[in-house]
Amino acid sequence: MRVSSTASVLRYAALIAVALLLAAPLLAAFTIALSPIEEVYSTTRPTFPTSLHWSNFFDAIEKVPFLRFIANSMLIVMFAVPGAILTSAMAGYAFARLQWKGKKACVLFLFCSLVVPAQVLLIPHFVLFSWLGWVNTYKPLIVPAWLGGGAFNVFLFWQFFRTIPRDYDDAARLDGASHWFILTRVMLPIAKPAVAATCLLSFVYHWQEFQKPLIYLSDFRTYPVALGLRMYQATGGSWINLVMAASLLALVPILVVFLCLQRHIDTAKRESKT
Amino acid sequence: MKPTLQRTSSRSGSLFLLPWLIGVAVLVFAPLMFAWVLSFVEWDGSSQQHLSWVGSQHYCELLLGDAESPRGPIASPSSSASDQQADPMFYKAMRNSVTFSLFAVPLSLFSAFALAMLLNAPLRGIAWFRSLFYMPHVLGGVATVLIWSWVLNPAFGPLNSIIQTAYDVIDPVVRLFHKSGTAAWPLPGWLMSKTWCKPAVVLIHVWTTGGAVFIFLAALQRVDPDTHLAAHLDGANAWQRLRLITLPQLTPAILFNLITGLVASMQSFNYAYLLYNRAQEDGLLFVSLQIYRTAFEPPYRLGYASAMACILFVLLLGVSLFAFWSRRIWVHYES
Repeated sequence: MRVSSTASVLRYAALIAVALLLAAPLLAAFTIALSPIEEVYSTTRPTFPTSLHWSNFFDAIEKVPFLRFIANSMLIVMFAVPGAILTSAMAGYAFARLQWKGKKACVLFLFCSLVVPAQVLLIPHFVLFSWLGWVNTYKPLIVPAWLGGGAFNVFLFWQFFRTIPRDYDDAARLDGASHWFILTRVMLPIAKPAVAATCLLSFVYHWQEFQKPLIYLSDFRTYPVALGLRMYQATGGSWINLVMAASLLALVPILVVFLCLQRHIDTAKRESKT
Repeated sequence: MKPTLQRTSSRSGSLFLLPWLIGVAVLVFAPLMFAWVLSFVEWDGSSQQHLSWVGSQHYCELLLGDAESPRGPIASPSSSASDQQADPMFYKAMRNSVTFSLFAVPLSLFSAFALAMLLNAPLRGIAWFRSLFYMPHVLGGVATVLIWSWVLNPAFGPLNSIIQTAYDVIDPVVRLFHKSGTAAWPLPGWLMSKTWCKPAVVLIHVWTTGGAVFIFLAALQRVDPDTHLAAHLDGANAWQRLRLITLPQLTPAILFNLITGLVASMQSFNYAYLLYNRAQEDGLLFVSLQIYRTAFEPPYRLGYASAMACILFVLLLGVSLFAFWSRRIWVHYES
C-alpha cells in the first residue's frame, strides 16, 4: 500500500490539530501568566496581553518561598531516583537471569503488587512511618524508592534484560565476573534506554507526588513544589496570573528532564525496530 | 561448569532480590494485611488506649447502615445520623468515583487509540509529534490541575470564551428558527456547578492520557503490514481492515490499558482534593477524598477509613479479575 501524498497531508493536518489542542491549555496559561491582573478579570480581555509582564514570574517566586519548594523537590528526587533505578534494575536482573526456589511465587507477587491500589496502602504506611518516627521527614518519600523502585520499573528492566543475548554475560562470567560486575558494566550500559525510561518515570512520579507529602509534611518550609503550589490557591486565589506563572515554572524541570531523556528512549525504539 | 554457575546464582542472586523483596513484604503485603485488621478496630492513631475492637461494625455501617450492627465501645459520630441506610457520604463518594470512571476510562481509551492510530505512520518528524503527545502525561499533576481550573473558569476562562464566540457565530442561523437566538443559551459552569464538574474533570483526565497512547502505539507497530496488504488486495476496505485485523491484535493492549486505567481513575485524588468547592454540592467527592478526610482530618477515624479502603480494594480486585477472566472471550493472543 503506497501512502498517497494527500493522505499524508491530511495526517499532518490532524497531527498538528491534536498537538495544538494538547498545547492549548499551556498556551492559555502562558498568556495569563504574562498579563497584568486588571486585564485578566476584565470582560473585554484581549486574546493576547497588550504588554508582556515578565515581572509576574518574579512576583510569583516572591509571593511564597517558591525556590525553596523547588530545592526541596530537587532534594527528594536526587535521593529517590537513583534508588529506584538501582534496586529495580537489580530485581529485574534477578528475574531475567537468575533461578531460585520460589521464583514463580515472586513473579506472582510482582504482578499482584502492580495492581494493589495505593489508596489501600496509604493508612498502613502512615501508621508504619509514624511508628518509625518518620513523620515530618522526607524518609517516607525516599526510602520506598530504594526498596524495589516500583513494580512497573522492575518489570521494565526484566523485559529489557530478556532481550539481551545471554552470550554477553556468559562471556563475562567465564572471565570470573560477579553478578554485580555483569549488571553494572555489561547489562546497564546496554540497557541505557530502560535506565532513561525508569529515570524519567520515577523523576515524574516523585516530582508530581502530592498526596504523600500532604500527609507526611506539616511545616510549609519543607514542602515540595507540588504541595507548595497549593499555597497560591490558598493565599493568592485572585492573583491568577501569578498562580499560572508559578504552575508553569513548576513544570519546567519536568520538561527539561523529559527532553534530555526522550532522545535516549527514542533511539532505543528505532534501534530495536531495525 | 554448570553447577558452579548455579551456585553463584543462588547466593548473590538473593542479594539482588533483597531490596525488592523487602519492599514487597513491608510496603505491600504487610500493609494490606494491616489495613484489613485495622478495618475491624476503632482507632484515632494516637495511643493504644484509644484503640478498640469493633468487629464488623464498620462494614455494617458502610454498607447496610448501623441500626442492627453491634455497638462498639466508642460510639461513632455518624451513628446517630443514619438509620438503616448505608453511610450516605461513602455511598455518594463511591457513586461519584464510579460515574467518573465510567466516563473517563472509555473516553481516554478511545482517544488514546485514535492518537496512536494517528501516530502510527512512517512520516518525517513523527518523533516530534510522539514526544509532544506524550508531554501532557508527564506534566499531569498539581500544576496542570491549577492550569485547567483557570481554563475552565466559567466567567473569564478561555474555554467558555471560545464557546461564547461559537454561539455568536451560529447566532444568525439559530435566529431563523428561534427569535431569541443563542442569547438564552447557557455556558457550562464547569467546576462551579454540580452538573458540569464531572465532565470538567473527565476532560482534564482525558487530556493527560499519554501513557495509554504508547502502549497502543507499541501494539500497533507489531501488527504485520503484509496481512493488511493481503486484505487490501482482497478488497477489504479500511474499516473492515481496522475491525478484523488491527483491533483483534490490539486486544491485549486494550485489556492492559483498561485495567490500569480503571485502577488509576478509581483512585484519583488530586482532582477531588484540589478542585473541590461548595458549588459542586459534593459532585467531586471521590472515594479517595472521603478516605483521606476520614483518616487524616479530625476525628481521625483510621479504622473506619481502612474499611472504606478495603471495600475499594475488593471492588477493584473483583473488576480487574473479571476483566482478566473475560479475556478468553474477547482478547486475541497469538500462539
